[in-house]
Amino acid sequence: MNAEIRQFLFESLKVMKYSTADMDDDTVLGPAGADLESLAMAELALRVEDHFGVRFLEDEAEHFAAMTVGEFCAEVARRARIATAT
Amino acid sequence: MSASVAVTGIGLVSPVGTAVDEVFAAVCAGRSGLVRPPEDHPLHGVVDVAAIGPFIDPESVIPPKEARVVDRSIVMAVRAAGDALADAGIEIGRDVDPYRVAVVLSGVGGLATLADQAVERSRRGRLGVSPFLLPGVLPNMAAARVAIKFGIRGYTSSSGTACAAGGQSIGEAMRILRSGEADVVVCGCTEAPLFPTFADAFGNALALARGWSDPTTASRPFDRRRNGFVLGEGAGVLVLERADFARARGAVVRADVLGWGATSDAHHPTTPRPDGASAAESMRIALRDAGLTTGDIGYLNAHGTGTKAGDTAEATAIRGVFGDAMPPVSSTKGVTGHMLGASGVVEASIAITAMRKGLLPPTHNLDDPDPACDLNHVRGEAAAARVDAVMSNSFGFGGHNVSVIFGSADG
Repeated sequence: MNAEIRQFLFESLKVMKYSTADMDDDTVLGPAGADLESLAMAELALRVEDHFGVRFLEDEAEHFAAMTVGEFCAEVARRARIATAT
Repeated sequence: MSASVAVTGIGLVSPVGTAVDEVFAAVCAGRSGLVRPPEDHPLHGVVDVAAIGPFIDPESVIPPKEARVVDRSIVMAVRAAGDALADAGIEIGRDVDPYRVAVVLSGVGGLATLADQAVERSRRGRLGVSPFLLPGVLPNMAAARVAIKFGIRGYTSSSGTACAAGGQSIGEAMRILRSGEADVVVCGCTEAPLFPTFADAFGNALALARGWSDPTTASRPFDRRRNGFVLGEGAGVLVLERADFARARGAVVRADVLGWGATSDAHHPTTPRPDGASAAESMRIALRDAGLTTGDIGYLNAHGTGTKAGDTAEATAIRGVFGDAMPPVSSTKGVTGHMLGASGVVEASIAITAMRKGLLPPTHNLDDPDPACDLNHVRGEAAAARVDAVMSNSFGFGGHNVSVIFGSADG
C-alpha cells in the first residue's frame, strides 16, 4: 500500500511542477525539504483524498508539512485502512 | 499647467502588439487586430470576431509551481508591469524605497478560469476545485502578483469600474502621487474576457458587432453602419512618478499627467445617459484639474466602442464640452477592438505617443460618419499635428465616466 501511495505522491508532485529526483522516504514535505507551501500542501491532500477516498481536516496541512514522505504515506495508508474498514 | 506627475514607463499587451511603438504604428496604419477566432480558440463558433492578444507563457512571469491555475488576465498584467518598469528604468529597492511604491491594477478578475473551475465543480464536486483558484482569479491578484514579483510594499488596490477601470487607475495613481503618499505608482488594467459565457453575456445583450464577413471591418466607431463592439483582451500598465522624483533620478519622462475627472451617470446599469451630461462633466472636471481650457486639447482619444447608444452619447458629450474648440477626435478601437478596462490604459499610451510623435491616429472603418456623431474626426489616414495636451476618455457599464489629460513632457 505504501509503495502505491508513494508512487501516486511522486506523480502528483510532478504534475504540480515539483522535482522528485532527489526525494526519498526521508524527505520532509514542507519548507525543510520538498518545499511544498500551504496551497501546494492543500492540493496534494486534495489529490490524495480524491484517489484514496480518505479525508483530511482543515488544520492538518501544517502538520503534514513537517512529515517526511515515508511518514505521510504511512498516515495515508492508515486512514485508507480505516476508511475501508468502515 | 501643473505638471506634478510624470509618465516614465509603458507596458502593453494588446491584439496589435506589445511594444508601444508597435501598437501606435498599427493604429496609425490600420493594421487590424480583429480576427475570426481560430478553431483552437474558446470563442471559435461563439462570436464572429474577436481581438485576441499574443500568447504569453504563464511560466515566463509566474513561478511554475503557481502558474497552473492563474488566469490570463493576471499573466498579462505581470508581463505588462515588467515591461513598464523596464521601460522606466527603475528597480524597486535600488532606485526607490519599496514602501514608497504603490500598485493600482484593475480589471474584472479571472472570470474565464472561474468559469472553467465551475464546470469542474459540477463534474467532480468539491474535489474538482483547485486550492489555487482564489489567488488565480480574484480581481486584486494582478496587483498582488505585481507587488510580489517586483517587491513593491506600498499601497495596493484594484478598481472595479468595468470599462472605466483603466482610466480610473491612472486617476487614482495621480491622486496618490499628488498627496505625497508614494513616489512611484505602477497603475493599469488587465482584462481576459474571451471565453464563451462572457462573450454570450455581451452578445445576448446585443452589444457585440455582428454580421461582418470581413472581421477587420466589424469595429466601426462613430460610423453610420456600426452595430456593436468587438470583444478584445489585453493589459496596459503605466509607471507614474512624482515629477520631481523622476527628474531627480534622471528618468526619461514620456508625458506629464495633468488632470483627471470622474463622474457617474446615475442613469442605468448599462445604457449611457443619452444627453452625455455626466460624461461631459468628467471632461470638464479633468480640464479644470489640469488648469486647461478646451482650446488647449490638441487630440482626444475617444472611448468610442462602436455601439449605437455609446458613441452617440459620447459625441454629444464632446460637442457639449468643446463646442467650436473641437480637437481632432479618434477612437482606436476600430483596430484594437474593445479590451474593456484595459482599453483605457492602452489608449492613454496611444494618446501620449501621438503627442510625442506629432501624429494623430485615425478611426479605422469610419467610412460614413454618423450625423449623430458630429465630431472633428481623424479618419482615413493619420494626421500630422503639433499637440501639447491630449485627453483620453473611458466609460464603463454602471455609468462610470473617466477622463484623463496628459501634457507634453517638453511643454
